[in-house]
Amino acid sequence: MQAVERHSDHHHDHAREAVQAWVKTAILFGLAAYFAYNILSGNLSNYINERFAWLSYVAVALFGLLGAAGAAERLRGGHTHHHHHDHLSWPALAVVAVPLVLGTLVPSRPLGSAAINGNISLTVATGAAVTTFASDPSQWNVLDWLRAFNNAGDPASFDGKAANVIGFVYREATFPEDTFMVARFTISCCVADAVAIGLPVVWPGADEIPQDTWVRVQGAFQTGSFRGDTVPVLRAASLEIIEQPEHPYLYP
Amino acid sequence: MHADTDHHLLPSAPPHRLLRRLAWGLAAAVGALVVLSATLGSGESFETVISIFSTRFLGIFIEAAPFLLLGTVVSGVIDSFLTPDDIARLVPRSPLLATVTGAFMGFVFPVCECGVVPVVRRLFGKGLPMWVGVTFLLAAPVMNPIVLVSTYVAFGAGPVLVGRFALTAVVAISVGLVFALGARPQEVLRPRSFAPITGGSDDVIPLYPARKPLGRGLRDALRQAGDEFFEMGRYLVIGSLLAAGMQTLVSQEVLLALGRGPAVSVIAMQALAFLLSVCSTVDAFLALAFVGTFTTGSVLAFLTFGPMVDVKSTLMFLGVFRPRIVAYLIVLPLLMTLLAGVWLNLNVAF
Repeated sequence: MQAVERHSDHHHDHAREAVQAWVKTAILFGLAAYFAYNILSGNLSNYINERFAWLSYVAVALFGLLGAAGAAERLRGGHTHHHHHDHLSWPALAVVAVPLVLGTLVPSRPLGSAAINGNISLTVATGAAVTTFASDPSQWNVLDWLRAFNNAGDPASFDGKAANVIGFVYREATFPEDTFMVARFTISCCVADAVAIGLPVVWPGADEIPQDTWVRVQGAFQTGSFRGDTVPVLRAASLEIIEQPEHPYLYP
Repeated sequence: MHADTDHHLLPSAPPHRLLRRLAWGLAAAVGALVVLSATLGSGESFETVISIFSTRFLGIFIEAAPFLLLGTVVSGVIDSFLTPDDIARLVPRSPLLATVTGAFMGFVFPVCECGVVPVVRRLFGKGLPMWVGVTFLLAAPVMNPIVLVSTYVAFGAGPVLVGRFALTAVVAISVGLVFALGARPQEVLRPRSFAPITGGSDDVIPLYPARKPLGRGLRDALRQAGDEFFEMGRYLVIGSLLAAGMQTLVSQEVLLALGRGPAVSVIAMQALAFLLSVCSTVDAFLALAFVGTFTTGSVLAFLTFGPMVDVKSTLMFLGVFRPRIVAYLIVLPLLMTLLAGVWLNLNVAF
């Protein structure tokens, strides 16, 4: 009884189903190509922790495999009588194509100052692996410094220590004219868990540098007041505008 | 002729249509939200908001898609090459041991919540004790290697990973034991779930087909995986749109107001898990979007309750269990994960 119904259904929609099968195949190949493009262009580092880049290789392989299996099936003349699922509607297919549309139409950019929206941290949770950063403090990045501050407790113990860090410029309207933050996002898995962190920097021309400009700041810490807290403030001796680094995020 | 059909336990079209409408409603709501707040609020330009939204959405999708694919391929392969006999042979005689085995069988027979119902139904046909099947049904979507890896990728080896697996095992075994003590199979299962034993009718699931030859099996596995990717990809895309939209558009204060309450946050995340119906292989990546603003207990509830029960699986339960039993299958895990989530929020500092 059920079987009879199914059969006539299929008869009816045969043409539509054939077209849908090709559309599905096209989407699968499209997604394989999109993942491959992300890897080749380096855009992948705008989205996920590089530790998990291998997952995208897996995705390219599996999307390609499923797309090829679908194409082979169609070329052999289809299989309609034992189709597994009720037909998807066109809108349902379109939903699966959304990543492809956003991925190709919206230029790929890492999260920047507009994504911070006041929510930037001067402290980091100290995990177990606090001692893993490079031993030479002149090599420390923003995250390493914040971890060191966290461990030390007394901000004054960093007075006079030299630092050389990169990050993007983040300013809020309430910051003094000569102050900005050199900011980074940290991600553990992907941008869904991105957390903004930053060091306050004092530099006479701070208000002339546009938001999101990537800079290298060299200078020394001096305890100061920032947003109502007493923290080590980086007094910049030199500031250099740089290209956005290959890996815009830090991986804690 | 539909000997190898197995996902058609949904009795009829209406639930499907309902699902479709629900999915559409959600998608449309997210879209409207994006456009609205991009044009009205926040002072950022439309391009900036879309760019941030797109980055967040693609981040979740790119990290999750490989796991969804692995899940569909594995379930396709299992469907082609393993028979329920293979599982049934694993189950020990002692009821307690059998229940515990039921909780861990997913590691040998990995299925997510969409694949588990047909498997359990066939197992009942093979004579698996009803309560062991219930335990397997609730546990398998989490207790399997793919979810172990995806949860590890998302959260690392920490309290969330441990909590997710421990809580799932406890809830699944407890509910299984409740059924073992308090219910008879005839009262639990719909008559047609017994059909292969009692002789059956037209409408029953057929006996499981014989093992397929390698080439044909692989071909079927891949075809099924492709179809399943589209089935489940929709939920992932809609869930990711919602999570990215929430992070981009809803203010931190609003989220914290909801997400800090030790009980409210848990209930909110359970409701979200139920509605989103996102596959258990990838829900960890959606949960990440809530970590900063929502309590850890609520995130755990999302990761344990969602795989056991959601809109999608409830519809499938109705094809196997009597309606009153479906209510138990929803309410018991709901209350247990709610209690666990609230208790953890109040007593454990993460």
